[in-house]
Amino acid sequence: MIGIEDCLSEAMSIPGALGAILVDHTSGMAVAARGIADPGRAAAGLSAAYRATLDGVATASEETGLRVEDVIVTTGTSYHLVRPMEMMFDGPLLLCVRLDVERANLALARLRLRAVTDELVAS
Amino acid sequence: MGTRPGSAPALDTMLTGLAQDEATGSLRVGKEGTVYLVRGRVSYVDCAATPGVEDLLGGSGRIDAAGIRHARQEAGPGGDGGALLVSRGVLSRGELEFCVLSATLDAAFFLLAPRTLRTRFRAGDAHWLGVHWFFDVPGLLRECARRRARLERAWPSAELDARPVTPLRRIPGTHALLTRLQWELLLAADSTATPVELARRLGHPAYSTLLAVRELAAAGLLAMNQAEPDGQPDEPPAALPRRVPRPAAVPVAGAVTDVNLLLRVRDALEAL
Repeated sequence: MIGIEDCLSEAMSIPGALGAILVDHTSGMAVAARGIADPGRAAAGLSAAYRATLDGVATASEETGLRVEDVIVTTGTSYHLVRPMEMMFDGPLLLCVRLDVERANLALARLRLRAVTDELVAS
Repeated sequence: MGTRPGSAPALDTMLTGLAQDEATGSLRVGKEGTVYLVRGRVSYVDCAATPGVEDLLGGSGRIDAAGIRHARQEAGPGGDGGALLVSRGVLSRGELEFCVLSATLDAAFFLLAPRTLRTRFRAGDAHWLGVHWFFDVPGLLRECARRRARLERAWPSAELDARPVTPLRRIPGTHALLTRLQWELLLAADSTATPVELARRLGHPAYSTLLAVRELAAAGLLAMNQAEPDGQPDEPPAALPRRVPRPAAVPVAGAVTDVNLLLRVRDALEAL
């Protein structure tokens, strides 16, 4: 069983990880961060991006009861992985990791990220 | 209520002082809540207006009130009730930390609004849950200010904050996009419960609920211009047919959520 700080350490141990941040999506607050220059700004941006993604996908898709597993954004130099975790009374909490596009294995990183988030909420 | 403007230092000044002294103990704020400090850092805040960890856990169905009372007694003074709950499998360590963090920020938002209340510091006093997350005082005050600004961005009027939530019978457009919390709010809204009251009923943080209500208002889904909760309806509650343009809806100066009003409304509702 892990806590919030361990969860960030584990995210940072994913090969190619450059930075990791935990964001409270409802309030747009940075809960904790590693390797992120301005966590406050990053949290606001990632939270807005996640919300826009949800709204966009919900509008574009026929799927009912839509649930996002993760969001992947690829830039010239990095991957951004955003993984939502439903908490019991509020949320979601977003675990976001930035990975070096040269060094990271995207499929592996997704699996690792899922394992970390499962561990955080497992009792 | 022990409000004596000018006779006591403002709450944030007081907290900043305690942080500098690296104080450990509890700071009781009027009758509205308590801030717990450990070596100058805030470990927990509770506020009468917002659901605490006990309410959030109860609302999630993980443990009932009796279970919490037991854990609390067993932990005893200075104990670690949180660790006890984790060892019983009620929730994970990550969930406990997030629960404490979330309840603390929620309470701080309402309790630490700029105002002056009589305070009393009890050195060495600790919360029954133990210590599971820390906030430094400047960071906590900054976060409260950021949340206030976030509310203003969502819908720049405090008009609906303390009023009963009243959804429109018909929505203005052809479809509406709702979050899970907004859905729950619309279902639970009975035209008598205020946002804070609904938060308690649904087991959600009061701030998230307030934000969801303001977003519903911005989407034009709530009735505006209702009568004051204790006043006479001055207009048939037909609601505005059109959305009020945003800039026109800013009668608020500094627009701080009126906590005293929220508390009065809560007291009135509880007295029913």
